Amino acid sequence: MSTKDTHIPDWLKVPFAGITPAPTQEKGQDLFPTGNWRSIRPVYRDKLPPCNNACGTNEKIQGYLDLVKRGKYLDAYALIKEDMPFPSVTGRVCYHPCETACNRGKYDEAISIRAVERFLGDLGQALKKDVVKAGKPNGKKVAVVGSGPAGHSAAYQLARLGYAVTILEKSPKAGGLNRGGIPDWVLPQDVLDREIERLVELGITVKTGVEVGKDVSWDDLKKDYDAVVLAVGLTEPNSVRAEGEDKKGVHYGLPFLRDIGMGTSKVKLGARVAVIGGGNTAIDCAREALRQGAVEVTMITVEGNTQEMPASPEDLHDMVEEGVELMHGRAVTAVLGNGSVEALQLHPARFSGAINASPINVDREAAAERFPVDHVIIAVGQHASLAWLPQEFKNERGTIKIDRFGRLGNTNFFAAGDIVQLGSGQPLMVVNAVGDGKRVAFNLDKVIRGESLEPRTIPIDVIFDLNRMNMTYFPHFPRVQQEMLPPTSRRKTQQEVIQAFTEEQAVEEAGRCFSCGTCNACDNCYLVCPEPCIARPERSNGMYKILVDYCKGCRVCIEECPTGCLEGVPELDFDTGVVRMDTAFAISPGLHGRQAEELRNLASRPAKNI
Amino acid sequence: MATATALKKKMVRINGCVAAAQAAKYADVDVIAAYPIRPYTATMMALAQMVANGELDAEYIVADSEHSQLSISHGASSSGARVFTGSSGVGVQFAYELYSPISGSRMPVQMMIADRTLDPPGDFGSEHTDALSTRDMGWIMGWSCDAQEAFDNHLIAYRIGEDPRVLLPQMVCQDGFFVSHITGDVELPDSGQVKEFLPPYKHPYPLDPRHPVSHGPQIMPEQGPPLQLERARAMEGSMAVIEEVHEEFGKIFGRHYDPWIEEFMTEDAEVVFFLQGAHAVTAKFAIQHMRDKGLKVGLVRLRTIRPYPTERVRESLSKFKVVGVIETNMGLGSVSSGGVLYAEVCAALYEADKRPLVLSFMAGMGGEAIVLKEFYWMTEKMQAVQKSGKIEKRTHWVGFEE
Amino acid sequence: MATIEVQRQVLPILGNPNQGARFYNPELPSSEPFVPGHRTCAGCGPSIQYRMTSKAAGDNTILVGPTGCMYVANSSYLCTPYNVPWAHTQIGSAGSFTAGVAAAYEAMIRKGKWKGQFPNIICEAGDGSASDIGLASISGALYRNHDCLIICYDNEQYANTGIQASSRTPYGGMTTFSPPGPLVPEGKKLYPKDLARMMAAGHPHCYVATASVGYPIDLMNKVRKGLNHKGAAYLMVYTPCQKGFVYETPRSIDLGRLVVESGLYPMWEWNPEQRAYDYSFRPASMRPVSEYLKLQGRFGHLHAEHIANLQKFANEQWRMMGVQLPEALLEAADAKNLVNMAAAEEAATVAETV
Repeated sequence: MSTKDTHIPDWLKVPFAGITPAPTQEKGQDLFPTGNWRSIRPVYRDKLPPCNNACGTNEKIQGYLDLVKRGKYLDAYALIKEDMPFPSVTGRVCYHPCETACNRGKYDEAISIRAVERFLGDLGQALKKDVVKAGKPNGKKVAVVGSGPAGHSAAYQLARLGYAVTILEKSPKAGGLNRGGIPDWVLPQDVLDREIERLVELGITVKTGVEVGKDVSWDDLKKDYDAVVLAVGLTEPNSVRAEGEDKKGVHYGLPFLRDIGMGTSKVKLGARVAVIGGGNTAIDCAREALRQGAVEVTMITVEGNTQEMPASPEDLHDMVEEGVELMHGRAVTAVLGNGSVEALQLHPARFSGAINASPINVDREAAAERFPVDHVIIAVGQHASLAWLPQEFKNERGTIKIDRFGRLGNTNFFAAGDIVQLGSGQPLMVVNAVGDGKRVAFNLDKVIRGESLEPRTIPIDVIFDLNRMNMTYFPHFPRVQQEMLPPTSRRKTQQEVIQAFTEEQAVEEAGRCFSCGTCNACDNCYLVCPEPCIARPERSNGMYKILVDYCKGCRVCIEECPTGCLEGVPELDFDTGVVRMDTAFAISPGLHGRQAEELRNLASRPAKNI
Repeated sequence: MATATALKKKMVRINGCVAAAQAAKYADVDVIAAYPIRPYTATMMALAQMVANGELDAEYIVADSEHSQLSISHGASSSGARVFTGSSGVGVQFAYELYSPISGSRMPVQMMIADRTLDPPGDFGSEHTDALSTRDMGWIMGWSCDAQEAFDNHLIAYRIGEDPRVLLPQMVCQDGFFVSHITGDVELPDSGQVKEFLPPYKHPYPLDPRHPVSHGPQIMPEQGPPLQLERARAMEGSMAVIEEVHEEFGKIFGRHYDPWIEEFMTEDAEVVFFLQGAHAVTAKFAIQHMRDKGLKVGLVRLRTIRPYPTERVRESLSKFKVVGVIETNMGLGSVSSGGVLYAEVCAALYEADKRPLVLSFMAGMGGEAIVLKEFYWMTEKMQAVQKSGKIEKRTHWVGFEE
Repeated sequence: MATIEVQRQVLPILGNPNQGARFYNPELPSSEPFVPGHRTCAGCGPSIQYRMTSKAAGDNTILVGPTGCMYVANSSYLCTPYNVPWAHTQIGSAGSFTAGVAAAYEAMIRKGKWKGQFPNIICEAGDGSASDIGLASISGALYRNHDCLIICYDNEQYANTGIQASSRTPYGGMTTFSPPGPLVPEGKKLYPKDLARMMAAGHPHCYVATASVGYPIDLMNKVRKGLNHKGAAYLMVYTPCQKGFVYETPRSIDLGRLVVESGLYPMWEWNPEQRAYDYSFRPASMRPVSEYLKLQGRFGHLHAEHIANLQKFANEQWRMMGVQLPEALLEAADAKNLVNMAAAEEAATVAETV
């Protein structure tokens, strides 16, 4: 018997007939860790999508588009509410710098982010109870002066942080510029009312008809509150400094819109109306003028063409579609007429500098032009009214002097919104005011908690280059258009012009998002890994795990990541359980005894669920 | 044990091929892999009819080659099915690649072989070279000499091969035409007897999705020897099982076989023939005739060549003066320049205290029958050697020498 | 004889994200029949295919692995990455061993010896096995219509043995058995065997399709269609081999797309019910072959005329699929418009309008 007295040493033990028990899904084939072949390791490192970066309040746009894509609308709404108290408003009125920055714009058409935001905002409006809750009360009282976008945002964030917030609003109704500056056919009043209600539901006290400098003084504020946010906005319209500007029939943009918005307007427009100015307010005025009965509306701008106008192109397009005429490169030098306006005197003009805020050069040598009108609406910007403010906090621009954190000296007073942003280079837009209010609220909180205010130092990596993503995965696909009322019918009504997305439209449009630089759990890395050493314990952003004991560093996942959130970093050290090179090629003797044992006990293993 | 009176046994007159098919039917095989080649084809023809008639529930596969037949059998056996396949001649060779993998993965595939000469030229005749060329591949192997024994050997081989202590494939051989195509009386047993004798096949680690295992992964060079040693142990270890199973077979079926060798008229024999398979039938007649004339001649028939019963062969043959090995196979350029059986015999005898003289007879080649005359001639040669005490010529081509 | 009816699995077809605007993979099963810890090269194409295939199949699966790189590299040193039953078989036994497993389960389930739904039985044969040595055995399995799926992971060469030409190696492909030299400047002179069409033509009752790792969901769906098809199915999958093709490892999936976009690997399905080819698959774009060739070292020796030959071959493939050829691709089939591999960049611009 040749095999008599033979025995197999422990280090050469092998399972029966070389039949090996299956490795487990959890551990992989742990006798064969291949991670030490690797010289480059993939890591998930999310970048900032350009939309988030461009947004005035840095809404997590990619995040909520992704949630909408998956049908998780409520989560999407909750996410947007972190940075934006009233998506129902900005979803209608925002000038959407996010869409301008959207990388998809370089590929086919930008995502209609604003429309998705409105979809979410309307969803939030319909909720019986908002998803946002007030923070645990911290016993501190804060006054927020002004209930426009900045004040609304600051009050909202402070309430979430646990402050007892009181809003002081001089108008009979809260809302500030949201109410007074935006026509009904863009933003219906009840939408705004609902958002103000949400503030009250958060425990915020809204006191209307209270004017700082008249009803409460600087010292009252200082005395009655632990901190104050001044978001008083720019209340006084600028004039065009034309002769006869005080004639009857001359109106100013914001008061014109505000009075209509508040229902207190007594203006009855004649057939021919001229609107002076080339910004968004001027456009709103021109379109409102049509709805107020004007037959011929002409917009007169210093800007030489539509491209130079500081207005959103869509609004401009819609205005022209409704029949407003444009007259470029002219300034009003006099308002003519006997007591009430009959005509305007115009001269050729242009801005002296590159930006619209620069002084205007008027060519008075040229022949004056007479432009007959019945009414004129001047919409060339606003300035502040700050008589009540201590002199030390006023600056040369006629606004409030603050440090870079929005704080007035060493006081517990902060200021936000147009009142500080005018002339700072920031656009005076709702979303920027909201962002300002949010940041000031957080800074205020830090000061109250005794923390020091530090500027942000971590560099932000924003994806602007499409080559950093894998565009193979994104077929060209047109933007989903929002429905609109036809121009002929809408010019006579206060009905909302732009219609909301349906659920299907919102999902389809959100689905176009590239998710630039941010993991959206698309599963592609997980699917293409040859090992596979990318584990997906659960499905949510950035929740993949790379099993470094096995990853060979082939970089297929990095190459194939559609969003560009995966990066390769050089492997510096084997800091995990990976064994050294020699053992990855030759299993150390004796390991298979374990397999022999496992195979013998196979029957006692629970059967796999098939 | 079932009592004889209650048993539904049946005597039939069938040939070796059909006997093998009947055995497969009684074993309730699950998968049959067929491919035609004479002479074993008749087995598969019979099985095809049984499946068509609904007598046997099995997957009957007409493979595209013998290589595929064996691969199909390997796959089916690995999955836990009882498998039956077979071949002849060059067909056995075509499947050669699979013999080691099947025994190495310890799958008890059963293969029926009805021997046939290898080409060239094309010859339908019987010769053991086809099966014997695979003898060291780890298969349990032995020859039957008639239809009844063929039937019995198939059942016995399943029982041995599927024993968890063994788990090895089996080649159940019979001589082409001499057994495969000659009818004989065969007792078909009661199915209860078979049930009692042959439990259902159960491999310990089949390809079962509920208990996943990997069959046949690559190994490191140093892992080869322990695996080979295990296979050798299985082959050697099977000897005890083989004896046990034959004994049990005898108890249940009433036919008692010595698992290793059958001796015929050897009590006082001085010269004996040593052979495998069907030529034993003619040999027995010849021996009887010669005994009538007073010649002390006998027969030793090897029933199982793998595992090789070295001790039994030595013990048996060392009693005689001269052993004449009837090869019925080709071993070109081998030890004896004749067949391969000679070497097996001599190696077994080498350590014997008393060694007989051994001659090698190239007889029964190409399917030629070994006629009585030739047995007498061979006996004369053996007697001459016995007389002279030495071997002048080791190997004789019977029919080509004076 | 009382028999038990065999119950078969029906795997759902995954939604194809390429048809929408977004990129987002469908809900993939969580089970991993193929786990890490194997000796395949970094970025291995066949291994990617193995992962996708087994994922699509799920846990009630048996894998058969004829000899090839996926045998040698995956099951090294008595370690295997298979969390489902797997068995090695001989390189020529791809179809027959698989048939044996399928037949065993038919019989065992029918006879009550194994209880459960009929498992997915998948054979993973390399192109050497499928196209050369095991061709007959696979044809046998398809002809006999065993309920199984036979996959040819086509890396266009014998990679396991160190890159030798197979009958699937493309014209011009350099291998150690088809090296270029002064007398044979193109390396391999023969064009590849049209194996998949051969399988479809010869076994029209089978589901036959071609796929590529460049289109994972399509690949997984074809696996599922093949498994759902009652009877035999055959799938030929393009799987680039980093070692043999000589490219940078991250490009494995990319090559899988480019080979289809260049027309060198037509993607189609054979519909056994209608007895017709389905040529409706269209890649996102059509490109000249040079864009595919220039990424791979195995084509680095080619001259303009050889590239033009390959373009002609690709153009024929497009025509067989009934695709109208753009002018740029017709021009690229003329050697005058190509100089050599170094000018492949320019060749690409020839077809930029595509």
